[in-house]
Amino acid sequence: MTSARIAACLAAGLASLWGQSEVSPNQPPNEDLYLYHSVPDIAVQPVGKPATPLSGLWRDRPLLITMVFTRCAGVCYPFLRSLRAATELAAKPPSGYRVLVLSFDSRDTVSDMKAAASGIGAGADEDWIFATAAEESVRRLAEATGFWFRWDGEKRQFDHPAVLLAVKNGRLVRLFAGGRITAESLGSVLRDLDGGFVPSYPLADKTSFRCFQYNAATGGYSLDWGALLLVLPGTIAFLAALLTFRPWRRRGARAPFPAA
Amino acid sequence: MPPSTLAADAGTLRLRRNTMLWALTAMALFLVSTLLGLFLRLFQGNAFPAVEPVWFYSSLTLHAIIMVGAWFLGSMAGVHYLLARYVQPSSTASELAMGGSVAGVVLIAISTLLGKFGVGWYFLFPLPLYPNGVWLPWATAVFFAGLAILAVFWLIWVLDLLRAIARRYSLSVALGWHILRGAKEPEVPPLVLITTVSLVVVTAALVAAALVLLLFLLHWSGRARVDALLMKNLTFLFGHIIVNITLYLGVAILYEMLPAFAGRPWKTSKLVAIAWNAVLLLVLFAYLHHLYMDFAQPRWVQVAGQTASYFLSLPAAAVTIFGVLALIYRSGFRWTMASRLLVCGVLGWVIGGIAAVIDATVAVNSVFHNTLWVPAHFHTYYLMGVVLMVLAFFDHLSRELTRPDTDVRAAGWTLVLLLAGGYGFLAMFYYGGATSVPRRFATYPEETLQGVIQARVAAAFVVVLFGTLAVYLSRVAARCLRAFADCRNAS
Amino acid sequence: MIPQYKALFAFLIITIAATATFHWVMRNTGNRKPLNPEAVSKLRGRFAITCTLLLVAALALTLPHFPYPRGSEIPDKVVFVAAKQFAFGLSEAPIANDAQWEAASQGPAVRIPANRLVEFRVTSLDVNHGFGVYSPGGTLLAQTQAMPGYVNRLRLRLRNPGRYPVLCMELCGMEHHSMRGVFEVIPADKD
Repeated sequence: MTSARIAACLAAGLASLWGQSEVSPNQPPNEDLYLYHSVPDIAVQPVGKPATPLSGLWRDRPLLITMVFTRCAGVCYPFLRSLRAATELAAKPPSGYRVLVLSFDSRDTVSDMKAAASGIGAGADEDWIFATAAEESVRRLAEATGFWFRWDGEKRQFDHPAVLLAVKNGRLVRLFAGGRITAESLGSVLRDLDGGFVPSYPLADKTSFRCFQYNAATGGYSLDWGALLLVLPGTIAFLAALLTFRPWRRRGARAPFPAA
Repeated sequence: MPPSTLAADAGTLRLRRNTMLWALTAMALFLVSTLLGLFLRLFQGNAFPAVEPVWFYSSLTLHAIIMVGAWFLGSMAGVHYLLARYVQPSSTASELAMGGSVAGVVLIAISTLLGKFGVGWYFLFPLPLYPNGVWLPWATAVFFAGLAILAVFWLIWVLDLLRAIARRYSLSVALGWHILRGAKEPEVPPLVLITTVSLVVVTAALVAAALVLLLFLLHWSGRARVDALLMKNLTFLFGHIIVNITLYLGVAILYEMLPAFAGRPWKTSKLVAIAWNAVLLLVLFAYLHHLYMDFAQPRWVQVAGQTASYFLSLPAAAVTIFGVLALIYRSGFRWTMASRLLVCGVLGWVIGGIAAVIDATVAVNSVFHNTLWVPAHFHTYYLMGVVLMVLAFFDHLSRELTRPDTDVRAAGWTLVLLLAGGYGFLAMFYYGGATSVPRRFATYPEETLQGVIQARVAAAFVVVLFGTLAVYLSRVAARCLRAFADCRNAS
Repeated sequence: MIPQYKALFAFLIITIAATATFHWVMRNTGNRKPLNPEAVSKLRGRFAITCTLLLVAALALTLPHFPYPRGSEIPDKVVFVAAKQFAFGLSEAPIANDAQWEAASQGPAVRIPANRLVEFRVTSLDVNHGFGVYSPGGTLLAQTQAMPGYVNRLRLRLRNPGRYPVLCMELCGMEHHSMRGVFEVIPADKD
């Protein structure tokens, strides 16, 4: 898993070591608790296609899963739209991927999902699958990935986080939680799915003068201000040598030996 | 170049006196620190079950600082003396360095022995800021003050030697660039070339040390939260280079002294010039091999670290080793204690270098990093390498200045015992590294109990080493004292 | 053979060869004869080329064996490691504060299935430590630094069941030598 962890996942997931981290029931799921867990192979009913187990969707390429309900007045549509926009901007890995938008609301029908697909402009996209599933199956998937939803009778809405699950060969490789997903954070998720790996990542804190910054957009490192401090000793030494030897002095100015 | 010219052609009385004083200081510190080393190995051999580990770690810190300091200064003194054949370094700078070094070492001794400050000689951030009630709060401040004094006064000496070289040689001549272009004139002795390279690089190391101290202060004062990875990079930039360059200063001495025994010249050839210019470029990056287990360093930095470390061995070591062997082969070489020490020093450098290259391999470092393999390799090229080279200089110069009779047979035995004690002691480090014993453990846990036996065997060898050194160095010291007194009387 | 012994043997072989060469030359230093500069130069050239080739070959052979994980294999388990003076806390849940570290370092050993890829996410809550994984028999298997402010990810696949001690590989204070952690590798079918 690569790492716009620096920005995204750390802020949400692995709590900074210098701070708090008790998990509250209303928090989005903590990625670290579910990482690499197996995702239950539940059956889903896609719009306009025969029912299929999830393994049918992740067998040949990675699968991004997000869970929504069509009557959502909150985070679902903004999140879906940001995901849709991000998929258009972020570079596609060679193997490609599918996006599964699964309803967790048992009232949602296949035609509700179809309308939702058209609503965000993904109705004709082969790689975007809108589906429903049996209530029990949705519960299993939610439990295995830390996703939760509760009916709020007062608001007549589900209370739930917005989550993107990145699944490869049936295993959860990344879990992105947040109100909207940017092309950069999607890019880092896709890079993880593609096998990219960063052996280390810094924790979010107010550290000055880091040597390197991980760049989620390129998947590489760039030099940070600390690197400047690293080349400073060598630079000063060479400057000191130049000042001592003063190569710009005219020829013959050197003392003969023995010096006068 | 006949060997007797070491004393004759260089050296005002003041320079000779200073050099003898440096020799006495370095040898005395060396013996004290060897005793500390013996204490460390005995401690690891469970010889002092009633003594608290805090004494182990503070002695470890002091042992390393003294060894690094004593031989950096010893080799600087040697280079200073020999440089005086070609240029005029300032005796005042050397005397200032002496004063600064004494003050710095005293402060560091106070902080470690009285303040129980035990964080290792390179005081890795942020350990010094976590006393945990073990060492006294003032100890950190005194330690840093001592270090700052050392850095400043050493820098003065380093820059003065550079200034002296610059008075006679231009930068391109001092670095042998005209030889690279194919010119033969002006002649630049290898001593000047190697010293120039070394001094420029040492300047970088001392600046890095100063930066580390500044960043510590910044963090300590709460004005910034300093990045641990940056501090580690800077720490090893400083620590690795200072040790590495001490070795090169020893090699500079070797280049200057060995021809006298071989009766053949050893000039700055094109290959020698290429080699030391390559060192100038590579040595600043070799330190990266200390950070292989920091996965936070990008992969390309690790690749650069291994490549730089590998190829650093090529110019300096391969060119010099071949040069030494070609120089002495069928030369009618004059074997004295000094020339024996020089050649054995080169062999120690080679063996330590082989172990270093193996450890500088990332794939191997994964199971060798911070095991006893690490002290094994640096003790080899220190104790059996540069120390022998610098001792050769002290031995030879003090002999020339006092002209005593040479007892060749006694010298032979001294050398045999010195090598037996030294390599026996080192063998236990290598064996310890290969059997996964971690370095810097006061006592060993049940998984690595083999370390206890190894430490005891090593301690026995250190006793042999120390005994031989005590006898041998006392003879050299007696000559140094006599020479010192002669110089004073004459002036 | 464990890699440590391979390295030791390589070291011994090269060292013996170097020492033998020195010994031979040192025995042939008398009998003064002028050297043929061309022959010396030729030999020097060969020596330099041989050394270079050996180094390049060693680089090419060893660089692919970096211990830093790469590739698309998905680990079977994540173990979170927080180091702090003077114990390693290992846990299946993230360790973010002193209380969690204390619970993790004093609780039962984390269990890891044999032959499965495990990712250790290693950090430190105070100073630099070294996370050194030892086999039950006391052989150092792998390590990564535990550094404040960074999470280093070490991936391992351990074949043999048993209790694996973790020792500290970076001087971290007065109890450095007694700082430890432990995890247990269990047969995969029991997981």
